[in-house]
Amino acid sequence: MAMPVSGVPTDTPTQVPAGHALARVGRAVRSNRKAATGTILLVIFLLVALFPGVIAHDSPTQDAYPPRLNPSSAHLFGTNAYGQDLFAQVIWGTRNVLIIAFAVGLFTTGIAVLIGVAAAYLGGGWDGTLSVLTDVLLVIPLFPLLIIIAAYAHGEGTIVLIFAITLTSWSYTARQLRSQALTLRNRDFLVAARVRGERRLYVIVMEVIPTMTSLIVASFLTNALYAVLLASSLQFIGLGDPNTVSWGTTLYWAENNAALQTGEPLWAIAPGACIALLGAAFALLNYAFDEIGNPALRPVRRSKRVRSA
Amino acid sequence: MRRLIRYGVIIVAGVLGVAACSAGSSSSSPSSTASGKAPTSGTLAISNANGTLWTCGFNPYNPSDNLLSVGFTYEPLVYVNPLQDGKTTPMLASSYSWGAGNKSLTFTIRPGVTWSDGTPMSAADVAYSFNLIKKNSGLDLYGVWSVLSSVTATGNTVTMDFKAVAVPYFYYIADETPIVPQHIWSTIANPQTNPINHPVGTGPYLMSKCTPQNITYTANPHYWQPGLPKIAKIQYPAYTSNTTANNDLANGTAQWGSQYIPAINTFYKSKSPNYNYWFPPTVNVSLVPNLTNPLLSNVKVRQAMSYAINRNQVSSIGESGYEPPANQTGIVTPTFSSSLNNSAVAGWGNGYDPAKATALLQSAGFHMGSDGIMVNAAGQKLQFTVLNIGDYSDWVASMQVVQQNLKAVGIAVTPDNLSNTQYDAEFYYGKYQLAYGDQSIFGPSAYYELNNWLNSVNTAPVGKLAGSNWERYSSASTDKLLNEYSTTTDPATQQSILNQIQQVMLTDVPIIPVVESVDWYQYDTGSFSGWPTSSNPYAQPSAYNFPDNEQVLLHLAPK
Amino acid sequence: MRYALRRLGFFALTLWAALTLNFLLPRLMPGNPALSMMSKFHGQLSPQALVALETLFGVNTHQSLLSQYFGYLHDVFTGNFGTSLSEYPASVSSVIGSAIWWTLGLVGITTILAFLLGTGLGIVSAWRRGSKLDSIVPPVFVITSAIPYFWVAMVLVLIFALTLHWFPSQGGYYITTDTPGFNLTFFQDVVNHAFLPAMALLITTIGTWILTMRNTMITTLAEDYVRMARAKGLPGWRIMLDYAARNAILPNLVGFAMSLGFVVSGAILIEYVFNYPGVGYMLLQAVSGEDYPLMQALFLLITVAVLFAILAADILTAILDPRTRAAR
Repeated sequence: MAMPVSGVPTDTPTQVPAGHALARVGRAVRSNRKAATGTILLVIFLLVALFPGVIAHDSPTQDAYPPRLNPSSAHLFGTNAYGQDLFAQVIWGTRNVLIIAFAVGLFTTGIAVLIGVAAAYLGGGWDGTLSVLTDVLLVIPLFPLLIIIAAYAHGEGTIVLIFAITLTSWSYTARQLRSQALTLRNRDFLVAARVRGERRLYVIVMEVIPTMTSLIVASFLTNALYAVLLASSLQFIGLGDPNTVSWGTTLYWAENNAALQTGEPLWAIAPGACIALLGAAFALLNYAFDEIGNPALRPVRRSKRVRSA
Repeated sequence: MRRLIRYGVIIVAGVLGVAACSAGSSSSSPSSTASGKAPTSGTLAISNANGTLWTCGFNPYNPSDNLLSVGFTYEPLVYVNPLQDGKTTPMLASSYSWGAGNKSLTFTIRPGVTWSDGTPMSAADVAYSFNLIKKNSGLDLYGVWSVLSSVTATGNTVTMDFKAVAVPYFYYIADETPIVPQHIWSTIANPQTNPINHPVGTGPYLMSKCTPQNITYTANPHYWQPGLPKIAKIQYPAYTSNTTANNDLANGTAQWGSQYIPAINTFYKSKSPNYNYWFPPTVNVSLVPNLTNPLLSNVKVRQAMSYAINRNQVSSIGESGYEPPANQTGIVTPTFSSSLNNSAVAGWGNGYDPAKATALLQSAGFHMGSDGIMVNAAGQKLQFTVLNIGDYSDWVASMQVVQQNLKAVGIAVTPDNLSNTQYDAEFYYGKYQLAYGDQSIFGPSAYYELNNWLNSVNTAPVGKLAGSNWERYSSASTDKLLNEYSTTTDPATQQSILNQIQQVMLTDVPIIPVVESVDWYQYDTGSFSGWPTSSNPYAQPSAYNFPDNEQVLLHLAPK
Repeated sequence: MRYALRRLGFFALTLWAALTLNFLLPRLMPGNPALSMMSKFHGQLSPQALVALETLFGVNTHQSLLSQYFGYLHDVFTGNFGTSLSEYPASVSSVIGSAIWWTLGLVGITTILAFLLGTGLGIVSAWRRGSKLDSIVPPVFVITSAIPYFWVAMVLVLIFALTLHWFPSQGGYYITTDTPGFNLTFFQDVVNHAFLPAMALLITTIGTWILTMRNTMITTLAEDYVRMARAKGLPGWRIMLDYAARNAILPNLVGFAMSLGFVVSGAILIEYVFNYPGVGYMLLQAVSGEDYPLMQALFLLITVAVLFAILAADILTAILDPRTRAAR
């Protein structure tokens, strides 16, 4: 998994009602080249995950073919040592990966919003405790902790992976959201809401969170990205359920059969490339959101006008 | 800046590339034979990935360490070859004989053998070794004192009295018990936990240097067999991963392999005409039903499962063809082919017969449900979970094939891939429906494995630890047969009993053998000669088989 | 001073949290040490011996959870991490000792290199906003930072070790022909074996340095004092380094600390692919060998190392940058 690109704290965004925020995001995505590429890649993967049978006609689990076939028109990626069609494995594996990505992204961001914004708004003792909890979890190395948890859970499968990754990944986002929520606390529109007499919960849910939409979306993407990388890494080293069809488990089998050394490199390279592409999709989208949120980072487009001497 | 980086990388790569070539090409050149008893030429490197670094302990009673000392430094009384129906080779005992009614066993101890510290070895050491195990039951790895009543030395003979006749225990007593020096071990406070960093034995090699990464053995100049061993030095590196161990075999750094190598022809055999491999089958890997389960207690269901499994496919796909298909009699072939009850096998018919399986299930009152699973009139479905060891990727792959085979006849099994600990906790204690597993002990006849599986003395109720009869099979008539086997030394009687046991396997189907587990073995004929092969199986060939490894070491010679 | 004390307090708290996690986790999960021992000898013992072992290793937890906890803490602080199950009867501390140096070497050197190269590239890229360099750098490194570590390692193995045979594909050094020691052949051997793993780690971690540095630089370059320096007519490179970079680098240091956790994860995966005999590889071996004492000790070691590094970075930042002291 990549390290977080800790950017410059984004400028405090102006207050925007919820609906307009999403529309603004949509427009920004279309105009930004990186966002467009990322979106297209993501959409491709989504389609593959939703309709795998349309694209790959073979079963990913049946040991139906002669083992170790080279790529051909019948088997686009060839077959592995067990006689399974690799292309089918990669296509069908997409579903598991995307489920993990979106589930973890959603849960993690949800927890982070809850804790981060609550800490910022409740202030005082609550803030102190929640912040310390967040910081402690932030600093404990994530992957080794995940390994230990997965080891004790004896790799019971996708649900355990989702829970374990969610439980250990929310802290970074929580911290970011807390920082932003803090800067918003004394903005005029919020003071106005308080003066109006609105309850704290209303203020948080209806006024603050919509303003932080771009950061929340960006966090969702980041967490989805890490979920993909973490989950496939765990599956790769054998801590997932080896009977699930997923990119990480295909890599696990490839590694166990010394695929690289026995002339079946595609067994290892193909699922890895997919992880990289999906990761790139999330990362590009994320990077684009950084730029959208912080205009200072947008690419400078040189004008073609000749400068006057 | 980027250009600089690029050039820098190329330069550094070049330098290191040169370094790589020079560092990797070192090899040991044979030195000329000098005068004196010990050979001075030949270094053999073993490739047996243990998964961990060496602790430099050589206690022959410690199950983690004994593969490093027994066979190299410690020897047994008699070598028994399980691959040649128990053919015996006298080692520390020059001869042996059974007493009346096979209730006693007398060994004549070979004269002229010395310990590596110069002290002469005698019958007293033999008696001491056995009584040491009696005193410290944790050392009794094979349970010999469950049948022995006393071991005494008189002059140059050792007499062992049995409290119950147990002829098959000869293997554990004579072949599997290492003999240790009394004058050293009597001073050791706790023989079970003492690491024994400097082993003193009678064997052909001395442990000369040990680091966590590598053990070096040198030939024992005072070994009692003249002219042996012929190889001067042995290196036994501690490989923590299979990949490194396999690579060292492929590039010739190691010559004696005991590895599971995927795609072995591409990975290893094709790299040199001198590279060979042989995987002698030892015990069955079986689908084990919990006989206390109401659906599985129906013998027709078990028979149907046996007929439904395409063992050839499990062998070729799940085990890459390394482990041959097993058969329902439980006789491992070709190792024990001579024991096969051919008429019983003919009666059973083709081992893979899905039509017969379906017919059996139907006659047991099952019909195919709408979900593709067989169900009976009471609504009970044939769906089970199967325990498996998640770490053994070949077992996981084999179970995937079994799962597909069973699905085709309407039996749904879901693999539950567990860690070793969890697997043992559930399998040994009977908390499972189906399991995929094997026995650990391999002996010189089919009796050993079958006795472990079938003898009710090895079982226990669900919830208690069973020693080896994990399916909870119990039959008075089978027990009678097995106990009768253990009282006789007559091969004809033994074969007749085995024939009947095979019939039991076919009639009662207590377990369903799927494939046969093998010894992993690779060898390089370019540097050494005298290797065991399928045509000359003078010993179990893997470096981790002991004391068979000693026989291999005594046969090998540098080229 | 207050700041340092606060950070030390936080460090102590996190350490306590890690220790408690370590203590609680195995007790929340199924399995017992006796069974671990037995399954370690799975396939090597006779039925009778198995039953004998069970009585020998009977689990005896008549102590309350709390007294177990204090016993555990006492053990940790006296350096007693127990006996390794996979290397029985060696102690855990002796087993770990050998592996630490390999990881320190690999991770330490690679992180420093990544930091230097990455920061340098980030500075230059930000300085030349809008140039060809700047339009390639961000997207390329955004993508490389999303590639899984182990895949990069596998690709490198495939190309440079298995196809071109320039470097060995695994290990720390040639076990059978080399003995560890301070001689040139051993050193050459080590560098030879470390090159590909280091490259893998470098490629995957450098992206974040570049991007973070670039982002901070861009913001710094917009500051007034930089404009002032330009107005004064100072040479470009001087402004870039002395004015902008020096200020931009400091927030980077904090990011460095945060990212250590990720570098550690990368190291674990890369060591796994290369079978590099470091702490990460040992952790994975312990996991597959169900050697719980070793696993716990390694987790603690990694956590403590990361904590120390973060503490050091924090204090360094506080010394170098008065702003952090005031802001906190």
